[in-house]
Amino acid sequence: MSSTLHRRGQLSAIAELRWRMFVNGLRSKRGKMELVSRIIVTAAFALGGLGGFATAAGLSWFLVSQDKAELLPLLLWPIFFFWQVFPVMATAFTNNPDSGELLRFPLSYRSYFLIRLAYGFFDPASALGCVGLLGILLGTSFARPSLFPWTLLVLLTFALFNLVLMQTVFAWLERWLAQRRTREIMGVLFILGMLSFQLIGPMMERVGKKPHPEFSRATQIVTQVQAVLPARLAADAIAQICHAHSLAGFTSLLFLGTLTLAVTSLLHLRLRAQFRGENLSEAAARPVVAQVQGLQVGWNLPGFSQSVAAVFEKEIRYLARSGPMLLTLVMPIFMLVIFRLGPLNPMRPTNALSRTPDMAFPGAAAYALLVLTNLVFNSFGGDSAGVQFFYASPVSFRQIMLGKNLTHASILLANTALAWIAVSYLYGTPRLSVSVATVAGLLFAAPLNFTAGNLLSIYSPRKRDFSTFGRQNVSQTTVLASLGVQIVIIGLGAAAFAIAHLYNNLWIATLLFLVLAAISIPIYLIVLGRIDGIAIRRRETLLAELCRA
Amino acid sequence: MELAPTICTQALTRRFGELLAVDGVDLRVAPGQFFGFLGPNGAGKSTTIKMLTGLLAPSSGRIEILGIDLNAHPVEVKRQIGVVPEGMALFGRLTGAEFLSFAGRMYGLDRTTAAQRAAELLDFMQLADQPKKLVTDYSHGMQKKLALAAAVIHGPKVLFLDEPFEGVDAIAAGTLKSMLQGMIARGATIFLTSHVLEIVERLCSHVAIIHQGRLVAQGSLEELRAGVEAQTPAGSDDDGVSGEKLTLEQLFLRIVGGERRTEQELSWLG
Repeated sequence: MSSTLHRRGQLSAIAELRWRMFVNGLRSKRGKMELVSRIIVTAAFALGGLGGFATAAGLSWFLVSQDKAELLPLLLWPIFFFWQVFPVMATAFTNNPDSGELLRFPLSYRSYFLIRLAYGFFDPASALGCVGLLGILLGTSFARPSLFPWTLLVLLTFALFNLVLMQTVFAWLERWLAQRRTREIMGVLFILGMLSFQLIGPMMERVGKKPHPEFSRATQIVTQVQAVLPARLAADAIAQICHAHSLAGFTSLLFLGTLTLAVTSLLHLRLRAQFRGENLSEAAARPVVAQVQGLQVGWNLPGFSQSVAAVFEKEIRYLARSGPMLLTLVMPIFMLVIFRLGPLNPMRPTNALSRTPDMAFPGAAAYALLVLTNLVFNSFGGDSAGVQFFYASPVSFRQIMLGKNLTHASILLANTALAWIAVSYLYGTPRLSVSVATVAGLLFAAPLNFTAGNLLSIYSPRKRDFSTFGRQNVSQTTVLASLGVQIVIIGLGAAAFAIAHLYNNLWIATLLFLVLAAISIPIYLIVLGRIDGIAIRRRETLLAELCRA
Repeated sequence: MELAPTICTQALTRRFGELLAVDGVDLRVAPGQFFGFLGPNGAGKSTTIKMLTGLLAPSSGRIEILGIDLNAHPVEVKRQIGVVPEGMALFGRLTGAEFLSFAGRMYGLDRTTAAQRAAELLDFMQLADQPKKLVTDYSHGMQKKLALAAAVIHGPKVLFLDEPFEGVDAIAAGTLKSMLQGMIARGATIFLTSHVLEIVERLCSHVAIIHQGRLVAQGSLEELRAGVEAQTPAGSDDDGVSGEKLTLEQLFLRIVGGERRTEQELSWLG
């Protein structure tokens, strides 16, 4: 068989494998539910894509017809950032199987390279990025039809650059994520990066208030640097042709092509190493000198059984060893700092939100509850095969869930207390009525969240690696259900505050929340009381999902 | 007087849709027996052990462990048994000591006893020299030893082991075997599945063989030998040398009816 035929056979076999994986996934009820959820999520994405397309088409048409094509980077930069950043951030939509597993088969390097690119091409970010570029192509061509072939060539090169860069970033990330320690460092760096990103807006606002010569210098440097970066090069290639500067246009495209080649060679370096086989073993050498450790006695939780205390301790230890999770949990406090620097600054005379502590504390408490959803709605995800231990042990699931919920409640309590302190320090002490209403609101919202979370943890579990960030295999059903629960909670909370505001008495909100808590707490207890039966009925699904390799 | 069995199943059956994975199995394991549960791949071994340990519900039939109905009193049964299931059931982001201490407390030990036993077990299993290492970073053999340590921390009367020697090196296997034999000497009952017939032959006093979901043989090795030899016509010793005892592998192949495929098939291979 010729090598081309051979390669074609392999590629079609891989395409068929993906298709069979999808079809076989629909055999179970849960698989069908996932498909429905995915269709809903995809529809939402399609709407976003349509919006992006219309915006890109309209703006590019306007810019080119107004002879301002040099402003096209304003469209290309967002597309570039979306294409590169979204896949890293999106956890639910980029669940590609490990292409490295294909290496056991006699794939040629070229096939392997093509497969990696093909995986990237089917990523939602690529699809949406291409839709945006298509908008620019249409807008530009409508404004000036003669530009169509050139713009097509430039945008195709730009798309190829983005596709290759995305795969390069992932290939290198995979390398760093292959080992637990580097994975954790990467996780922390990633979240710190994301957090720093949040600070840009407030910092810019502060800096903008008075002249900063060093800031203008930095802006100049950034402007110069971005001139040789892909979005600007692509825009420049189009703009120069618009202004009949063919040579400059070709030069920009040439630069863009060179950048694409450079990134491709980086991808090649990584993929070649993978293809040749590299050892990323986790097993460390045994220490020459044995370490000695004293007796480690477990934690005690007064008022709770040994098993509940053991589960609580285990959960806390898991979280304490997960950099990404820890950083996620401190986000509410971080957001308070960001808002303090930005829109909720109480020092600002024109601020419409004159009582910021009263807004900030309930907001931070609600956010503290929100960041827990990852944990609460997939309680067993981090346990993986360990869930078998729970089934084999003589402990009821009621106790196990109680231990887990106790952990979540403790985190919420700690976060709320810290938020109160941070609000008092940064914004001023919130009124007593607001503080009490917020705590009462949590008394209603937390049990409701825990109830839904406990059920979804059993009905729709997904294995989760606490040491990685992004690209987690998230259940679409859980995503939609948790969104629904949050909408109900936020809606009821807003209604309670609105009613209290209407009567000009915030204590009414407390009363309403306590009434709601009087409903949600018994619901939580009833569901917790029945969780054993549910866990037993669902054990096969739970074990099959969490114990798979 | 015959002792009441430690493990007793009656017409134990499990269906997965159309597939009858376990078909009316009647098992009897007496106290103190080292019991090997054998069968070809897909015969129903893991399904049976999962049902015996409460990890899987039977479609029908009854299971009694230590005279207690597993379906009616699962927690009471689980308190007295230890399990090393197929996936080992470990919590990867704990250290070995933390995991063992956790396991002990889940089985009802107080904090101090759990910690003391955890330290002893780590020492015995030669896992104590890297106390800060997370279970996820253990090698496969180390994880097996840890899983076994967790299964025995509460001193179970019955131990269920699914392929305990798979992927374990000779040194670790020796450690595991000596511990298991020690438990048998102190009166515990051990039920294990393994594909390594030599190990089963050396360790187990009794075996049962399951084939296509049905129990096809059960008893001591001698009883199995006698049964097979009684069914074999005189002089037709096609596997062993005439006059020598049949090995467990030979018994297994005869009972299961497995035939070794030879070169008449796959002629294109090499």
